[in-house]
Amino acid sequence: MKKAMIPACVMLALSLVVIVGSQTFLSPCVHEDGSFGPCHWAGRALMGLGCANGVLALLVLIFRKARFGVYMSAMPVCLMGILTPGTLIDLCHMSTMRCRMVMQPAMIILFAATGIAALLGTLSSAKE
Amino acid sequence: MSKTFSLSAKNLIRKPGRTAILALLTAFLALAVFGGSVVVLSLRSGLNSLEARLGADIILVPTEAQSKVSFQNMFLQGTTGAFYMDASALEKVTEVEGVEKAAPQTFLASLKADCCSIKIQVIGIDPEKDFTVQPWIARSLTKELGDMDVAVGCKVEANVGEIIRLYEQRCKVVARLEATGTGLDTAVYCNMDTMNALLKAAEEKGVSHKIESGSDVISAVYIKVKDGCDIDAVNSRLNGHIRKATAVRTRSMITGVSDSLAGVSRTVSGLIVAVWMLAFIILLLAFALIIQERAREFAVLRLLGSSRRMLSRMVLTESALCGLLGGIAGVGLAALLLFPFSQLIESSLRLPYLMPDAGKTLLLAAGTALLSAVMAALASVAAAYRLSRIDPGTVLREGN
Amino acid sequence: MMFKAENISKRYFRRTGSANYFYAVCPLSLEIMACGVTVLAGRSGSGKTTLLNMLAGLLAPTEGKVWLDGTDLYSLDDKSLSRLRSEKMGVVPQGRSAIDTLTVMENILLPARLYGRPEPIEAARQWMEQLGIAHLADARPAELSGGELRRMAIARALAQAPDILFADEPTGDLDDGNTHIVLSAFHDFACIQKKAVFVVSHESDAFQYADKVYRMDGGQVDIMH
Repeated sequence: MKKAMIPACVMLALSLVVIVGSQTFLSPCVHEDGSFGPCHWAGRALMGLGCANGVLALLVLIFRKARFGVYMSAMPVCLMGILTPGTLIDLCHMSTMRCRMVMQPAMIILFAATGIAALLGTLSSAKE
Repeated sequence: MSKTFSLSAKNLIRKPGRTAILALLTAFLALAVFGGSVVVLSLRSGLNSLEARLGADIILVPTEAQSKVSFQNMFLQGTTGAFYMDASALEKVTEVEGVEKAAPQTFLASLKADCCSIKIQVIGIDPEKDFTVQPWIARSLTKELGDMDVAVGCKVEANVGEIIRLYEQRCKVVARLEATGTGLDTAVYCNMDTMNALLKAAEEKGVSHKIESGSDVISAVYIKVKDGCDIDAVNSRLNGHIRKATAVRTRSMITGVSDSLAGVSRTVSGLIVAVWMLAFIILLLAFALIIQERAREFAVLRLLGSSRRMLSRMVLTESALCGLLGGIAGVGLAALLLFPFSQLIESSLRLPYLMPDAGKTLLLAAGTALLSAVMAALASVAAAYRLSRIDPGTVLREGN
Repeated sequence: MMFKAENISKRYFRRTGSANYFYAVCPLSLEIMACGVTVLAGRSGSGKTTLLNMLAGLLAPTEGKVWLDGTDLYSLDDKSLSRLRSEKMGVVPQGRSAIDTLTVMENILLPARLYGRPEPIEAARQWMEQLGIAHLADARPAELSGGELRRMAIARALAQAPDILFADEPTGDLDDGNTHIVLSAFHDFACIQKKAVFVVSHESDAFQYADKVYRMDGGQVDIMH
């Protein structure tokens, strides 16, 4: 039982990094004139997806019996997170831009790691 | 062999904590070796690529751009720069004794493009005369650059066939160029006619680049010196012959870069050696501790008929497997940091940085994992020797 | 099978009085019955385990020879001696002797696996049944009690059907019921399979199953009956 909660804790921690990171140290490009590029909206979307994952992780910890379904539902959210920067929402067209250099790879890794945690959670709950 | 191998494998799988700690130590070792090697290799190929792209012995730039610094930054970091001189400078260059080839280039910094908040460097070349950039462009584009055609560096995210707007002029992307690891990757290339049209459009936008005479302008002349001629002598002749322009030896640019590269290489190598030694010493200690913990287990194996050689082999197999596991994990972790964040590393180093190709990288990864296995096995040699020499009778009685 | 020790002794360095050494086992000769149970009795510290280790090829004697079917054990190199021990001898040591990373059944089959011999699964099951640990085949040693671990070690030695089985205090941590189960297993092994069993014990329970009893005291051996 306790072991099945570990992935939820990992998910929660990673989601917090996504939420805080997307607005601070992993934020998209800041334009000199204050205008927004598409990467700004990608950053917002990533924060939203991070929030969704965080809530799902909390749901696992609160409603332990429903964890199989909740873990499963986190996986498509993670897939969205991986696809959002660059595929679903465009980023700046120069790979030396901050959104491509920092935000995109970091977010893909964070959402992939969250997805793996969700997958492990799903598998361990399925076993029980 | 396979009998002891399966027992070693079981020991590793069924003692996950012990395995994880040993693997973690070798993972650090592998992380340092693989990460460090990739960075150093990337810097070396970056330098080679820079040398190939500079390709000229001497570059002539307007005195105002003597700003060798700004010119150098264009190559190294892709910063934009625009400086002009009269196009007649090209003819004057060809008059100088010892000059074999001379190719002009014209630079223009774009206004912010639609995509990005930064400026892009536009470089106009003369495909017939060019001998530096053209061979590189030819690898990605079989025909010549037509009017209002552009070839983009690999870091400009525009696909072939796409239209990009530069000073409100519609330019068609006809090729994306291979990576060079230099500032050239963030630039856009066009022929001289297109460049003149862009210069005109820029003029209309209020971006002045005209020089007093009002004639055609160029930004730099790339010069190749005839074989056997003294480059320094040609350089001096150029400086004496052409006014308002300065001839710069490319060697001086490359020397600067290679000095920085040597510095970075030294730091990285020092770091690799330090991590290695530390990891190796900790591994030695870890194996020494494990001897204490496992003496009884090996005494039992001994009385069940294992020879000393079998026990040594078992210890070495276990540590090598652990090392391999750690090596793979370390390489994986390094890859997770190096590849997605390569652009960030390049920007932070401010040096030409060209990642090695997939084949070389895989070879390096496999070599590192193998090296980790060998190092772990070496660290356990003393432990293996001591465990194989234990006196089972004494050890089994002590445990009671 | 012929097993005998000729004038073997074990001497250790220790500065005691005028001498620089003492004898853990004084020079002695003995022969172990080819089929039957031989018991070596004696108080703690009398040198029983040292003698057993010398006989089992685990501890080289200071002097003397140990013969198994005409081969001097200590004239062999480590590889040959280890192989001989694996093929012809079974040893049940004192204390825990389980490999923690293997299951009980894997532990019992280990000697055969080490040399790639056919695994005596049937024999293992039969001895586990007789010793009352058949239900623990898939358990890990950490889940077993001291008595169960001891019976596992005995089943491991018996399952290999060695020509000679050495057991050091095999009933030390067993209750009366299990003591008799173990001793009768040794007796069956010796009588039915015509093998030799050499048991070191300080308990008199072992005597009733013994065909020959030696007594050891102060490093010297006397035959009792």
